Amino acid sequence: MLELRNITKKFNLTGAKEDERTALDNVSLKIEAGEFITIIGGNGSGKSTTLNIISGALKPDEGKVLLNDVDITNLSEHKRAAYFGRVFQDPMIGTASDMSVIENLEIAYIRGKPHSPFKWGFSEKDREFFKNELKRFDLGLEDRLDQKVGVMSGGQRQALTLLMATMRNHPTYKMMRRDFALFGEQDQAEAKRQFDEFFSEEKNKLDERIKTIKNSTSDTQTKKNEIKQVKDEFDAKIRAKFDLTKQILLLDEHTAALDPKTARKVLELTNKIVRENHMTTLMITHNMKDALAYGDRLIMFHLGHIILDVKGEDKNRLTVADLLKMFDDADKKAEEE
Amino acid sequence: MEFLDLVLNILSSGLPCCLLALGIFLTYRLLDFADLTAEGSFLVSSALTGVMIYNGINPWIALICGVFAGILCGFITGVLNRILRIPKLLSGIITMTASASIAMVIMGLASDSISPFRAEVSFGGFITKGSPQQTIYSLLYPWNEVAPGVFMPPNPTGDLIKVGVMAAVVIITMMAIYFFFGTQYGMAIRATGMNERMAKAQGINPNITSIVCVSLANGLIGLAGALYVQEAKTVSTISATGYLVVGLASIIVGEAIFGKRTFKNWLISVALGSIVYFIIVNLATRIGLPTELKSLLYAILITIALCLPLIKSGIKKLINVFKRRKAEAK
Repeated sequence: MLELRNITKKFNLTGAKEDERTALDNVSLKIEAGEFITIIGGNGSGKSTTLNIISGALKPDEGKVLLNDVDITNLSEHKRAAYFGRVFQDPMIGTASDMSVIENLEIAYIRGKPHSPFKWGFSEKDREFFKNELKRFDLGLEDRLDQKVGVMSGGQRQALTLLMATMRNHPTYKMMRRDFALFGEQDQAEAKRQFDEFFSEEKNKLDERIKTIKNSTSDTQTKKNEIKQVKDEFDAKIRAKFDLTKQILLLDEHTAALDPKTARKVLELTNKIVRENHMTTLMITHNMKDALAYGDRLIMFHLGHIILDVKGEDKNRLTVADLLKMFDDADKKAEEE
Repeated sequence: MEFLDLVLNILSSGLPCCLLALGIFLTYRLLDFADLTAEGSFLVSSALTGVMIYNGINPWIALICGVFAGILCGFITGVLNRILRIPKLLSGIITMTASASIAMVIMGLASDSISPFRAEVSFGGFITKGSPQQTIYSLLYPWNEVAPGVFMPPNPTGDLIKVGVMAAVVIITMMAIYFFFGTQYGMAIRATGMNERMAKAQGINPNITSIVCVSLANGLIGLAGALYVQEAKTVSTISATGYLVVGLASIIVGEAIFGKRTFKNWLISVALGSIVYFIIVNLATRIGLPTELKSLLYAILITIALCLPLIKSGIKKLINVFKRRKAEAK
């Protein structure tokens, strides 16, 4: 689903040759749909750089980022946002503090859609939806929708950011067509043709049904309701077939700035959301226990290389002691070189 | 009667500045963009509006053109900052610097100019019913003003209508701003100003939202300039000098006095701030402050407004100390 191909990234803050530092050195990584990956590694090992390159915050010096075999290396950060949900280490970064909870949620909810300058920010329908979502995850925020995010604790803000990152937005038909081509299994032109064919067929059926309703003898109100009903049915049919936008979740040490109890809670929430929605997830953590306890694949970075990549049974067999030993070995090896 | 005169006087200079303050507020507070374009867009728009009126064009059309002149100035600043990556302060300074020349070129377009450049255009004193030069106020209420220097009794009805038009424009604009910043696009702009990284992560293109916001803000300032010139009936290259400070002071005074709890409250505070500001300035001149010391008064005013939270908490502490002493004495 997501692939990094021979990525190299160098940082050079001063411009002098001796200050150059290689953050990633020819890294390749393939991620399958629905995988929950935990990433560990020391400071400066390149794990955050990897996430930033995937999300588009950084451009690689060499190499490619592919999403379903489509090259997105040069797609700008805000355009990629429709496919990636992100939570940062600093709880202040993920949310806008002077805006209310509902406004933050709405911005995330319409992510990837054009922002209309005429449509009021959120509707009553959205408010109900957000209320139910917040209730479902037991954050105690469902009655505080109109409060500013700035007055909330770091843990609450991080939980909110997580919810925003995973919120399933309601794509337009045009977006669905584009995403179906991008994420579907067949090639793009074929996918678009399939979409158009199905769409026009259903649309014709819809038009015919509306015509028969309009020609019927019932009063205007019943007619209106019936038309609305068939339109909803049409919408549901299209969505059931083509709404494939499975977002990818990028978590950059999102529990590191929280106290242990809150961190545990946010981590549990993460696990719950990821498992419920079968989301493809990359989670950076400093806590090796968490890295082993969660996720189905573990990747270890060291000095810009991937030195460990295990999944399934192999991962379950690992212990914290094993990981520490691997770190030490890698350090020794690097020193010898 | 004198009181009414005073009130009308304050409102007629304060209301255009409400719009100016709101424009600066949009960039300075919502976008976190210290935009120095303000004086430039004010000057260019008032020059354009003034020249169009001088040439006998319909004042409402002149007003709208003034707004677009402001929008264009803001757009240039936005592009300088966002596309050419020039720091915010500098891009504002660049536009402001250019605006002085642009204004001279625009004023050179006056129908009886002998040179392509001109430093001043005045059309005061000749606005009569039959005259081709009309302002939006004289269109609505054709009060006769004879040549300058000739004594005319004050005309409160004319002034009332003038203030009424200004108030209507200000209120409609404020409602429009309130609605716009509640829409999806307005939310995106606010998010950009508050937290650009969040905005990007949520699929907002910060370059476009910033440019739109700076343009809109300067459009408001252009509207202020266009209203101002119709009232002052004169425009020169130095007529905009000092208005940036007036706008900033209005924001700060308004926030300090009326608060900023919600967006609606905040908007109204900023607008009222500029009225309060003009009340203070007007009173000071009435008391007998020499015009030369006006700038000093502005500076002191802003300092006090900025210190107001500190003063408030200091007073609270003092009250607490007194209360404790009273309790101890008992």
